[in-house]
Amino acid sequence: MTSTDITPHPPASRFDSRKAAFRQGVKDAVRAPVLVLIAGMLGFGAAGNIYGLGLPFTTATTFFIFALPGQIVLFEMLVSGASLLSIGIAVSLTSSRFVTMAVTLFPQLHRDDRKPGLYASVHVLAMTAWTVAMREFPLMAPEHRSSYFVGFGLPCWLLSVPATALGYVIAGEVPMAVTLALVWINPLFFLLTFTEVKLPANRLAILLGGCLGPAFFLIDSATSLLAAGLVGGSLAYGWQRLRSRQGATEGRP
Amino acid sequence: MIPNLDGWHTAGALLLASVGTYVCRAGGVLLSGHINQNSEIFKWLSAVTYSMIAALTVRLIVMPTGALATVPVTIRVLIGIVSLGVMLIKPGGRLVPALLTGTGLMLIYGLLR
Repeated sequence: MTSTDITPHPPASRFDSRKAAFRQGVKDAVRAPVLVLIAGMLGFGAAGNIYGLGLPFTTATTFFIFALPGQIVLFEMLVSGASLLSIGIAVSLTSSRFVTMAVTLFPQLHRDDRKPGLYASVHVLAMTAWTVAMREFPLMAPEHRSSYFVGFGLPCWLLSVPATALGYVIAGEVPMAVTLALVWINPLFFLLTFTEVKLPANRLAILLGGCLGPAFFLIDSATSLLAAGLVGGSLAYGWQRLRSRQGATEGRP
Repeated sequence: MIPNLDGWHTAGALLLASVGTYVCRAGGVLLSGHINQNSEIFKWLSAVTYSMIAALTVRLIVMPTGALATVPVTIRVLIGIVSLGVMLIKPGGRLVPALLTGTGLMLIYGLLR
């Protein structure tokens, strides 16, 4: 489903060299999906200003974490007084999606590219790079995929850091209406992407999390995100398992 | 109003969050080729992540802090619903128009109030 077997004979002639694949990656990186990512980073920078967490700290989270949901969870939990341990667990849980992304993406690389250097380039792996690479990889020879991936992902990361700083700086300078629009980008973006979730268990998880989040926040703000995620997600997962087990039982003669 | 924001606490949180995120990325490299992406643990992790992001999103919209708290909750919810409408009116490729609609409406509200 995800490996090279989609196209048994990928067009080897699409790129002359790894350099050409890298350059195409960079070119593809300055288009609509990445502009959305940059807008999110601007909004996150502006939110960092509103939270009062400081320019160096706000920018450092983009440099070191480079995953907006995790960064916003970090900020929200810091502000609501969560403990270090629960912050670490909650952010790591939101980043667990990178395990699945890497597991589906990297088997498509050429065997020679599956080397220790991957442990460095994986830092630029994010939703945008993953989506584009999953789409483009089958259309190129395996030996060009690693270069294309880094060519795409590196500018995404490198542009995100100054975009965060820029968002932070302008939030204090522009009229309030612009700041409002900036800090509104990320909640709106998350809300909109929920409509693209197809798996019933994940849809139920979104519904439960959406209801439990505010309720838990009123009970104990510091633990609310982690608790809503674990309770809502586990309930949705359990429901899915129960359903598939029932389906299996009913299906028997 | 803002507890625990001294230097050590925020630095420690950044360190744990960064290491936790990198471990997930590196763990994916380590496991790629050795584990089935459809295994049960991924299904559970995926549901937990969606639930947590949904909790975060709804709270940011319904009970935000800072600048957004100055916008009435009805306006925030209404703009969210209109943006969702733009997103769902035609399947596929509507994210950018919907995002522009929502941020544009928030900007207009900010200018008019």
